Amino acid sequence: MKINVIQSAVIDAPIDRVWAVLRDFNSHDRWHPAVARSRMENDVAGDVVGGVRRFSLSDGAEQREQLLSHSDRDYTYTYCILDSPLPLFDYKATVRLKPVTDGNRTFWDWRSQFRAPDDRAAELENLVGRQVCVAGFGGLRTFLADQAAPPRPPFPEAAAAVPATAGGEHLPSRAVVVATAGGPEAMSLTDVTISAPGPEQVRIRQTAIAVNYLDLKHCRGVVAGFDFPGTPGMEGVGQIIDVGQQVNGLFPGDRVAYISRTPGAYADIRCIEADACMPLPDGVSDQDASTLLKGITAALLLGRVFRAAPGATIMIQAVAGGLGHLLSQWAKSMDLTVLGTVSTAAKAKFSRDCGCDYPIVVAEDNPLAADVMRITNGRGVNYWVQSSGALGLDTAVACLSRCGHCAVIGDRNGQPIPIDVNVLQQRSLTVSAPVCFDYFDDRPYLQRLVHQLFAKIQNRVIIPAIEAFPLSQATEAHHRIETRQTMGAVVLTPGV
Amino acid sequence: MVKVYRSTVLNAPADRVWRDLRDFNGLANWHPLIVLSRIEKGHPADKVGCVRVIQHKDGAQVREKLLSLSDYDYACISAIIDSPMALRDYIATLRLFPVTEGNRCFIEWSAEFDCPPEKVAELTETVSGGMIQIGLDALKKRYGQL
Repeated sequence: MKINVIQSAVIDAPIDRVWAVLRDFNSHDRWHPAVARSRMENDVAGDVVGGVRRFSLSDGAEQREQLLSHSDRDYTYTYCILDSPLPLFDYKATVRLKPVTDGNRTFWDWRSQFRAPDDRAAELENLVGRQVCVAGFGGLRTFLADQAAPPRPPFPEAAAAVPATAGGEHLPSRAVVVATAGGPEAMSLTDVTISAPGPEQVRIRQTAIAVNYLDLKHCRGVVAGFDFPGTPGMEGVGQIIDVGQQVNGLFPGDRVAYISRTPGAYADIRCIEADACMPLPDGVSDQDASTLLKGITAALLLGRVFRAAPGATIMIQAVAGGLGHLLSQWAKSMDLTVLGTVSTAAKAKFSRDCGCDYPIVVAEDNPLAADVMRITNGRGVNYWVQSSGALGLDTAVACLSRCGHCAVIGDRNGQPIPIDVNVLQQRSLTVSAPVCFDYFDDRPYLQRLVHQLFAKIQNRVIIPAIEAFPLSQATEAHHRIETRQTMGAVVLTPGV
Repeated sequence: MVKVYRSTVLNAPADRVWRDLRDFNGLANWHPLIVLSRIEKGHPADKVGCVRVIQHKDGAQVREKLLSLSDYDYACISAIIDSPMALRDYIATLRLFPVTEGNRCFIEWSAEFDCPPEKVAELTETVSGGMIQIGLDALKKRYGQL
């Protein structure tokens, strides 16, 4: 039997405020009482046409729905049900808002068409009308009333960051300069002048600068790629001041993140190759975006270096660190069981919040292998992400289950990697030593990873933990990382 | 192209309001600015393509053609074909939507037209603040306060 359900209401809020919530196809779990959890398949954003949302309903059932059309111009979207525990067939629904200019309110029209078995038609018509639409009207009213301020206002940091009179030939800035190789104390903050960008560059007023472990090694002069005197930093976020003559598709005022092999990020203002810049979507804050390199490295490790099946186990060394805490959340979203090593009880607690099921506090008198074998009931782990290089690699290999994989990232601490192929062959083990920049030269692939990461941040599947230091305290930031005192990602804030 | 849009909520079911609004010859019955209306050539008022002549309180006469009438969508679209006002290509859309919650209806009235640049402000006010808003206010009163 064919059924049409039309429900409509007037919401006492301006249309842009109502639409800001409804336009996100993935927002139901924030306001609809019948939806306990909503997430987008393949981690696309909530406004991607064709995207599929998966609802966990408050009664525990699962339902999948696909976005068929979406229009910010007309305040409307249409979707259909793909899978439902109920016999709702050919179900298509349209949400449409219209402004009530009289009183600055919003008219909300919600209509559904579907087929249902004759003997259940009345019941399902009532369910869609009452428990979906009418309950939704009430839920949104409550949500708007409770919503003191929009949770993620667009461009929160960028708006204040760039003064109206940006541009000009030379701009005063400050940069962290390392005169000769040394520890954190070798860094000093220096006044500099940044001239206009080259033809293929953009000039950026930075709002967040990522601190990566590679920066520390650059300063100590233990790896290539850094010349003294020089300014460290491979990664930053900010707003474009002006662009070079041959730059296409980027404009002054754009909010961008970049990753570059060329150091120099520890500064208020810098010029950077336009090719390295990636525009930021709303809903990803500047600080969150500054975890880009760590985030896409996590994506690389879980999507390409080794693909673990749902239910598999992964061991993440330094799981409370900048990469580790993102890798842990990402692994959890793929239904992996996460083990991780940490150095303190506080980090163990933090890593649990990041989805780590079994944080292991590493201690001298505590053999790691025994813990791993106990937790995995003697089976070992399917995937081991080894961030301490060669140090303890034998333990990693010993703890892998059959067909397991160990990815060696980070520094080899100067030691040769002792791999005995005979040992690998005994259990069909594989070992890799990926260097992320080698993969990121493939631009379309890099772009895919970036979209995945930003969607996960927007959908709150991944919530970066940020420890921020003023640019003037870069020394302190490096010191705290070297002495393993930080948790999550470390970011420098320019301008202060 | 100038576009204006006004909307409100009326305290009556859409079917009830539509009985009044679908009459293309009925504007004078409820719009305070319109004193007379007739359909040219004796056509019925729901014949798409018919032309009405309406007379404003100030004496001005306007000829409008019915372009579209939908009892299914509760919608009426008309165009001005003769007017003393300095506007061109004027098309107005009046549409109702049921508000199931409370058994009321939502009404929107929009118009688009071209006019000389120096007349935009004045004509926008005449159409939007005058004709449309005064009409909506009269309908609100007609069907009772919320």
